[in-house]
Amino acid sequence: MLADDMACNARNKYPAQVFNNENHRLNLYGDNVEVDYRGYEVTVENFLRVLTGRHETAVPRSKRLLSDEGSHILLYMTGHGGDEFLKFQDSEELQSHDLADAVKQMKEKGRFKELLIMVDTCQAATLFSQLHSPGVLAIGSSLKGENSYSHHLDSDVGVSVVDRFTFYTLAFFERLNMYDNASLSSLFSSYNPSLLLSTAYYRTDLYPRQMEQVPVTNFFGSVMETIHTDHPYRYSKRKGSSKGKIEMSLDQAVQDEKRRILSNLGDQNIDSDTKCPMGSMIHMWNSILDEIEKFEDRDTLVYYGLVMMLPLLAVSSWLSS
Amino acid sequence: MEEEKKGSTSGFWRWAIASVLFRLILVFFPKNLHLSSRPEVSTPLTSLRRLSEGYWLKQSSMSPYAGSMYHGSPLLLSILGPLTALRIEGQPEHLLCGLFFILADIVNAMLIRATGQCLQMAYSQRLKALDLVKLSAASGTIQSGNLAALVYLWNPFTIVACVGLSTSPVENLATILSLYGACTGLVPLAAFGWVIATHMSLYPAILIVPVILLLGYGPDAPPRKVFLQKEYKNGGQSNVQVIFSWRQLVHFVFWSIIWGTYVLVLCGISVKQYAGLQEMIRRTYGFILTVEDLSPNIGVLWYFFAEVFDFFRSFFFIVFHMNILFMILPLAIRLKHRPAFLAFVYIAITATFKSYPSVGDSALYFGLLALFANELADIKFSFFLFCGYIGVSLLSPVMHNLWIWRGTGNANFYFATGMAYACLQIILVVESVSAMLDHDRMLMKLVAARKHVDSKS
Repeated sequence: MLADDMACNARNKYPAQVFNNENHRLNLYGDNVEVDYRGYEVTVENFLRVLTGRHETAVPRSKRLLSDEGSHILLYMTGHGGDEFLKFQDSEELQSHDLADAVKQMKEKGRFKELLIMVDTCQAATLFSQLHSPGVLAIGSSLKGENSYSHHLDSDVGVSVVDRFTFYTLAFFERLNMYDNASLSSLFSSYNPSLLLSTAYYRTDLYPRQMEQVPVTNFFGSVMETIHTDHPYRYSKRKGSSKGKIEMSLDQAVQDEKRRILSNLGDQNIDSDTKCPMGSMIHMWNSILDEIEKFEDRDTLVYYGLVMMLPLLAVSSWLSS
Repeated sequence: MEEEKKGSTSGFWRWAIASVLFRLILVFFPKNLHLSSRPEVSTPLTSLRRLSEGYWLKQSSMSPYAGSMYHGSPLLLSILGPLTALRIEGQPEHLLCGLFFILADIVNAMLIRATGQCLQMAYSQRLKALDLVKLSAASGTIQSGNLAALVYLWNPFTIVACVGLSTSPVENLATILSLYGACTGLVPLAAFGWVIATHMSLYPAILIVPVILLLGYGPDAPPRKVFLQKEYKNGGQSNVQVIFSWRQLVHFVFWSIIWGTYVLVLCGISVKQYAGLQEMIRRTYGFILTVEDLSPNIGVLWYFFAEVFDFFRSFFFIVFHMNILFMILPLAIRLKHRPAFLAFVYIAITATFKSYPSVGDSALYFGLLALFANELADIKFSFFLFCGYIGVSLLSPVMHNLWIWRGTGNANFYFATGMAYACLQIILVVESVSAMLDHDRMLMKLVAARKHVDSKS
């Protein structure tokens, strides 16, 4: 849900691009960004409808939250807010008890298993003070009576591009690599109040598990970077389906040997796999099999057969003349 | 005599090279002059388009017989398939296949020429044995080998079959190879040619009879009665023996078994990963015998089998194929002293009554007909047949166009030309057989007259 179309705003110096940093390194409005509700569709009513799943029949599936009782949902809200409310479109507010009621409905309808609410507004912790449903985690950027601040101003675009809480959340995730297996407790404890200029408060009383046991990947996914190359994919000609149909009289050991060798994908080091007593014989078998493998096809065998026909014919005719 | 021969030989080579050049020019025309789409030229068995489709299916790891497009031999697929896939920029497609077929035609012509020389030599030897040297001198002016090769090369049917990219030249090559091997006594070659010809199109199987007779008795000879008369004249000792050589027969059977198993093993390897030999036999020989494809061609079966009720289909398959089979034995009995001519008659009969005939089959028997130009010099209705063939080959495309493209004709138009073509072929066979028998009778009369003169004097 994006209330204001920042990217295509007439005052945006970089049309169709939204940056979260002064260095303009990352365009947040890229090809893989999908916005389901934008502009005037962002209303409190639509928001609550999305959460509870109470849509009119004409609403398409792309605008519905299609979750079930096993889903993990990340709910991230940012903007202007205050004590027990969040501002929508400069004209409406989402109140904390409405949010709590919506979450209670979701729980009863079995629309989530675990829910993480992240709120980045002024006095954010008040927004989830009314929650009662089990399985909900919530973190806010500031306590009651505190403001949340923006991080820095992009003088080129002319506005502040990122808030502090969001900035440090992103910094935490960018420090991680694929194998880190970070837990939510490390995320929640990474917020430094002196850097945020506010206190990041989180609520874990409704959540059954310990924070240290919950990986961040429960709620956050990674963006896979695909690199397009011009090189064709190196497909080895060993057709797996035809391998099974080659009926050669092998004993099982040699067959397993062959499979192991094939699975090494061209690893030439056969000796390490051979059993010591029959080592040389298996080696010979494997070399014969490799020869037949090199034929790549039965067709080559047929070609050899056809080509052999001619000298055979010539020799036999010469002998019988 | 020597100069005449040299002159005729150099003339032969000039005409042969001219025909090859003519084919090369035609092959380089774009789209093969649309000859490959003519039903007279490309049948479901000989069409190169179907072969390239079968090759594509095989490259996609599917059985080449899937979808009932390709019905030929998998070995031919291995040879010609890659040639169809290769494309040279700026040249018409299937150029390499066209060149391959031109090469096959050249080899055919050379083999026909060699066969003709062998036959003529044997024939003149027999005539010398009969003291009919004058006859041999008179008839030796036409080198039947050269004439037959030139007739084969310049026959419009052959040129059309070659340029129109049908695989008939390859099938004809196998048949002529077996006849050449049989005439020259090379048993492995004859067995090889016979096995390959049968493998590719089923009908050359009946050529086993003339091939065995050729190997056993040797090339053409006048009937035994003539020699018996001569023996009687000489007092019992004749220097020309006509004994059947059983040793050659055993050799032939042995070699055909070897080549047969070799070909079957290769085919088995080739089709093993798809469905096996059974499917191959069902789709090639089963297709030929059960006439599955009823698209129009220059034969007479398609029209009939389009109308026959399903209940009677198998009965009429048997009838039509027995039509060929029951002629084998009487002709073999009557013409066993002339096996090469017997082979010609068999080929002409199969070209008339096979399930998917094309002009490539006619190309073969016309070439073989010219081998006997000396004996068949007195054939009746030759002019009528010549004009008939020209008329049919001109009218048949016209009627096809009227029927299919313009819609102002119907199937009867096209089938009428097909029937006329079959009638012409039957007349040709009948007249050539009677001309050959007349020639033998003339020889007998000459020998008898000589004997009478000698006994009188």
